[in-house]
Amino acid sequence: MGQTLAEKILARTSGRNRVAIGEIIEVTPDFSYSHDYAAWAIDAFEKMGATRVHRADRIGICFDHGIPPNSSKDANSLKRVRDFARKHGFQWFYEAGTGVAHQVMVEKGLIVPGSLTVASDSHTTSGGAVGALALAVGETEIGFLWATGKLWFRVPQTRRMTLTGAFRRGVYAKDLMLVIAKELGVLGALYEILEYGGDGAARLSVSERFTLCNMATEVGGKGGVFPYDAVTAAYMEGRAQFPFEPVVSDADAAYCGEMRFDLSTIDPMVALPGREDSGVPVNEVEGTEVQQIFIGSCTNARADDLEIAANVLRGKKVHSNIRLLVTPASRQSELDALKNGDIETLVEAGATIMPAGCGVCAGTHQGVLADGERCLSTSNRNMPGRMGNRNAEIYLCSPATAAASAITGRITDPRLV
Amino acid sequence: MIRGTAATFGDHVSADVVLPARHSFLPPEGMAENVLMDLSVEANRKVRAHSIVVAGEAFGYGTGRESPARALRAAGVKAVIAKSFSRLFFRNAINNGILVIQCSELCALPVSDGDEISVDLKAGRIEWKGRSFPFPPVSDVVGNIIGAGSLIDYGRQLLAGAS
Repeated sequence: MGQTLAEKILARTSGRNRVAIGEIIEVTPDFSYSHDYAAWAIDAFEKMGATRVHRADRIGICFDHGIPPNSSKDANSLKRVRDFARKHGFQWFYEAGTGVAHQVMVEKGLIVPGSLTVASDSHTTSGGAVGALALAVGETEIGFLWATGKLWFRVPQTRRMTLTGAFRRGVYAKDLMLVIAKELGVLGALYEILEYGGDGAARLSVSERFTLCNMATEVGGKGGVFPYDAVTAAYMEGRAQFPFEPVVSDADAAYCGEMRFDLSTIDPMVALPGREDSGVPVNEVEGTEVQQIFIGSCTNARADDLEIAANVLRGKKVHSNIRLLVTPASRQSELDALKNGDIETLVEAGATIMPAGCGVCAGTHQGVLADGERCLSTSNRNMPGRMGNRNAEIYLCSPATAAASAITGRITDPRLV
Repeated sequence: MIRGTAATFGDHVSADVVLPARHSFLPPEGMAENVLMDLSVEANRKVRAHSIVVAGEAFGYGTGRESPARALRAAGVKAVIAKSFSRLFFRNAINNGILVIQCSELCALPVSDGDEISVDLKAGRIEWKGRSFPFPPVSDVVGNIIGAGSLIDYGRQLLAGAS
């Protein structure tokens, strides 16, 4: 019996030839990173009585949640992490404003194909976009990893996600993701790795793959991954900071199931407030008034996402009832969109550009909603309170749907503007 | 061997309900006062009175924060037995010294609040009302973490052994 990509990577990092599904193993990850919450990892590290950090050349920090800080308490917490990283020689430190950690670590070539990457944030799954096994852990565990170099994992099952065909005009990876969430439910892929494949997957860019791996956690998944191919190879060219060996599943590997999606049948989707698996085709909610529109987050705010939004908004104006907040996923995405004129287009239309990072999505900082307001967002989560107010509602969609709705002030099918 | 009495819950108790983010920074006593309070006052009372949680599907889904697991520990919970768990809760509970056991067979039966339950970790067996329910033996790593008290305690032991 062959092995899946996930089994192979977990076998290698646990020093074994193979591992069994359900088994708990001890591994040495290839790379780890954290963000503002590294403060709790430092607490754990110090409580363990540790003094020396393992493999500081394989540790990253990128501040993204509450940046720039809006209280002295937050500023002090970031300073503590900054000082700790400096003292222990963390090689990959990124200041506030570089972007969302998940995006930055991929963009900087620190998450490489075939690697085991871990981080203390549920959207760590994003790293699967470049063929890595990228797994989320708790904050204490990052401290334990710094102290000992090791972590434990349960070997997951893998579900094959076969994509065929191509998206029609106005339909994007986010729409597919909302269809996947609708079919699986918020826990439908519990413990599983979602492994994408098929001719439809091969055509997707790294940015689109990122969206589909990022939200694996919204269906309970342990990870999402696109096997290494020509698209990955081109993306990693001149970018990878570490030598790597691509890993793909064996042809006779065992999967726990398969789901098939014909991309040409997908419509623009909107997830209704409360749960990420509540997606409906956009026409079912067309005309719903919203007050804030957020184009941001690690899910959908890269240069290509900003370009999609700019193409919709070019020569148009944001509706007077709408606050359009744009938070690029990274400084690099922002720079690309500045150079090609997309940021100018967005600002001319009436968008507010915010510093690269998590922005409104994390709900702790900037862009908090008022009671009874509705936000249409390109981010990944919409449970009550996610954007800082339990009495506000969050709808999820693609950048195209967000931009089209910014013009009309109501949820709008992007194919109609 | 872990012995205790049961506090029973249904399906889909999210980690955000176990302990909302706003209570994440409370000291242990404060966490115990608030654990499961968003579900009901009765839920809080019973989880503090009984040390073995018995629940249904997807216990602890949602947030990956560690504070819900810390709150259960603060309330005196030693083990959670459920039909299934979200993976981040599973990790966070074990790392905070709470044994987590998946046992659909037991959780499908009418276990009542206060029922005596024992868990034999080595044998991989749960005892309830004279009946026995097997579960796969826990791995050495998990056993070591639970045995040490928590991941931090385990880390401290490892580092002390190494020096």
